[in-house]
Amino acid sequence: MEFIYYFGEVFTPISFGLLLIGTIGGLILGATPGLSPTMAVALLIPFTFHLEAAQGLILLGAAYTSTVAGGAVSAILLKIPGAPANIATTLDGHTMAQKGRGAEALQLSFLASLVGGVFGVFLLIFLSPLLSKAALAFGPSELFWIAILGVTIIGSLDSNSVVKGLLSGCIGMWLATIGFDDIMGAQRFIFHSSLGGGINIIAALIGLFAIPQVISMFAKGRVEVDAEVIQIEKHSIFDAIRELTRRTRALSIGTAVGSIIGLIPGVGGQIAGLVAYDQSKKFSKESHKFGTGHSEGIIAAESANNAMVGPSLVPLLTLSIPGSPTAAVLLGGLLIHGIFPGSDLFDNNPDVAWTFIDSMLIGQILMCIFGLYIASFAARVSRVPQSVMAAVVLGLALFGSYSVQHSIGDVYVMATLGIGMYFLERFGFSAAPLVLGLILGPIAEANFIQGSMIANATDGRLAYFFTGNLNLLLVAIVILSIGYSAWMEISSRSDTKNEGTTS
Amino acid sequence: MNKLTHVFSSGAIASVGLIVAYISFTQQPSEAFLFPRLISTVFVILALWTFGKAVLGRSRTGDGVSKEALLRMAPGLIVTIIYVFWAAKAVGFYTASTVAFFILLTLYDPAPHDQAKSWIKRAIITAGFLAVMYCLFALLLKVYTPREIFF
Amino acid sequence: MKKLLAGAAIALMTMSGVASADGHANYPERPVMMMVSYGAGGATDFQARIVTMTAGNEDALGMPIAIINKPGAGGRVGWNWFATQADNDGYTLSAYNVPHFIAQSIKGGVEYSAASFEPIANWGADPAVFVVGADSDFNSMADVVAFAKENPGKLTFSGAGLFVGHHIAALQIEKAAGVKMAYIPTKGGGAAAMKAVIAGDVLGGVNNLSDAFRAAASGSVKILGVADLERNEFLPDVPTMMEQGLDVDNSSVNFRGVMVPAGTPQGIIDKLAAKVPEMFANSRVAGKMKAGGSPMHIMTRDEVKAMWAAREETLKELLAGL
Repeated sequence: MEFIYYFGEVFTPISFGLLLIGTIGGLILGATPGLSPTMAVALLIPFTFHLEAAQGLILLGAAYTSTVAGGAVSAILLKIPGAPANIATTLDGHTMAQKGRGAEALQLSFLASLVGGVFGVFLLIFLSPLLSKAALAFGPSELFWIAILGVTIIGSLDSNSVVKGLLSGCIGMWLATIGFDDIMGAQRFIFHSSLGGGINIIAALIGLFAIPQVISMFAKGRVEVDAEVIQIEKHSIFDAIRELTRRTRALSIGTAVGSIIGLIPGVGGQIAGLVAYDQSKKFSKESHKFGTGHSEGIIAAESANNAMVGPSLVPLLTLSIPGSPTAAVLLGGLLIHGIFPGSDLFDNNPDVAWTFIDSMLIGQILMCIFGLYIASFAARVSRVPQSVMAAVVLGLALFGSYSVQHSIGDVYVMATLGIGMYFLERFGFSAAPLVLGLILGPIAEANFIQGSMIANATDGRLAYFFTGNLNLLLVAIVILSIGYSAWMEISSRSDTKNEGTTS
Repeated sequence: MNKLTHVFSSGAIASVGLIVAYISFTQQPSEAFLFPRLISTVFVILALWTFGKAVLGRSRTGDGVSKEALLRMAPGLIVTIIYVFWAAKAVGFYTASTVAFFILLTLYDPAPHDQAKSWIKRAIITAGFLAVMYCLFALLLKVYTPREIFF
Repeated sequence: MKKLLAGAAIALMTMSGVASADGHANYPERPVMMMVSYGAGGATDFQARIVTMTAGNEDALGMPIAIINKPGAGGRVGWNWFATQADNDGYTLSAYNVPHFIAQSIKGGVEYSAASFEPIANWGADPAVFVVGADSDFNSMADVVAFAKENPGKLTFSGAGLFVGHHIAALQIEKAAGVKMAYIPTKGGGAAAMKAVIAGDVLGGVNNLSDAFRAAASGSVKILGVADLERNEFLPDVPTMMEQGLDVDNSSVNFRGVMVPAGTPQGIIDKLAAKVPEMFANSRVAGKMKAGGSPMHIMTRDEVKAMWAAREETLKELLAGL
């Protein structure tokens, strides 16, 4: 309960001012395409040079929390996920916005973020020592199985055909191998000099999600204004809260999945949203509504990606191991002030550590308040005429993909993938499984190769990958997950046959 | 028509898969291509399956692309390709964006082309958007984009 | 609109300015970009951000330096880009890591060599150290070597990748002790390699002194030896490899500094070579580096040139057998 004593520190004028700046700035940066939370936090590091340690961390902590949530804004309104964490949010969120329910989608996403985020920070406060042991239990073999588990959900994610879903995933995994191989340093599939650095995940995300949408707006031609006006529904915050309390199943699945995945070093929050989305779809009674603008989809995805924030800092604060890229940047923010995270951080620098954690709690609440405030304005974006929207999204995609690494090659990759994805979508493929393949491919590969190297030196591959309780548990879940997908495919096929709707 | 486009698209994917598989199995060092070999094998199997289904006319998903839609999107797509792959680097990000934005509005904005009012409106929207982009990327985020002509 | 016009005016002025200033007296006239070929939050990135923080001061460059990360494949991605695609107009700098890029260029498969770059100045020297988990049975390098002798090829130890400083140190240790061990390169840099040691995925590891110092301070690892000529000021109690009878010199010490692409105008190189070491010597920079546990080692352009040439020789010899 020590953290309560340090709340006072957060409410001094300077600290609270920084908290406000961090939250509002984080929301803006998070909503900007091309700026992932990692980049946003890295951009803010120079500002902390001039601040005291605790104050600098307040700024960074608040920015981290709110960039993750801010990514939902562009995901919902423009269908441009700001970071991999927000991919799942686009699936139902953007569909809702297109139907004029953007305000509701934004409100739900911020409220779910608040619940997930606060839960995650409480885990960090109360269970850090315990969780740090759990985080260490994931070695190369376990991480390999986690990646394979992720692959098994590819087939069931946002696709009407399991085969095409898996094929999309395969294309994504192949795209991820382009460039230099990370361990051996060999060059693979570099057809053009832009590909020398491989495919940047953020640039790819922008292209795969934003460009198909631009092209389908072009494909509608010069639509008369009257034909396309969307009625923007006003949505009261209390209704959103009521909706959230009705969807406790999605909320708790999202929060739990996000907390667990956030803890695993090296996997990070990239896939938390997608896994939570998939799980709550499987457990939902209304699973057929997912992807058509269903509130459970947003709630699961957004609660998961904010729940991961707290646990993702556990390995950093207790063991000095940054478990995610963003945690690595935060480590830099601590080091500049001569603070070494580790098991004795809370004894040596309790003021810094607890003020930082408290600021993340207050930051979550501020983020939610500002988020709800802008939700009603921001939802008007969907009233923007299609022609303007197409041009705006195209411009943002160009600037956003360039700004990731200041590389024109990333822009070419973005546009090529985007145009290709439009045509793939027309033939029943979808972007989400492709992106999941793009994220999971390198995790699976690196851990497989690393695990094999360790296994070759010790007791052999079979023994290495198939012994240990955690390995066996993960293998069992993988088999269950495949079995479930196969069963769903077969039962849905017999359904369509019975109804005679094969086309 | 629809069947033909499905056959064509899945055929294209299958041939990409075959090329990937060919490269994976011929390139060295073999340790570095172990994973690509694995993926490309699954890739080819799934792609051929999809191709086979399309040939049999049993593709159940996807609406394909109609000729009319292709014609409607063509001008926009051409502007996009010129803008992204050439103009942005050659004439500078902001100049190229201004021109591309205005052309796209002219092409797809339903307001009539014979009234001065709608042209002014387009110009204002373009200027407003570019001002926002400039403030966000150049001033706030300090991203130095290529600026060959003007800014 | 006003901002746009102002931007246009400034851009025009910049263009005419570049055309007229032959002596580069006005350089730099706009913010400078520095590419770091490792991810945000890594040791190189962290130090690069600190040493460039005073670039905007009038007595330094007078213009800020922005850090751009191009991570991948142990630095190859970023340096390939820098050697082949970066503008050599003095507005694109890069951080270098020696021996990494020299070892990679000797090994081949990349588009750069030491001749592709012009050094400006060196800011830091981070020796490689050998670490084991806090509860490990190994208490000295002798224990490690003894285990490796009894179990050839079975002693797993992690490092940040192939043909980077850690790998060089690993090769030197194996060669000096005459044993075969299993070097496991990790993806994700020194942090991932350290995690493998702390979690017990591997029996030991080679890592950066700066990172190991922190991990040892938090009680997660033991540091058994430093691969350098002398003991380090951060770790006065840890003996060098030489003191423990292993003939390992300072070839694997990770020198970090700034360079530009070959072909950059000589006037700009001279100006940078004069200003940048002064910028590194700033007391605020030194304070932040010390606080972060990062050893500093400032070297001028000429000293770096000599160091690169010496490294190239020793590495060619070491890697010849591979």
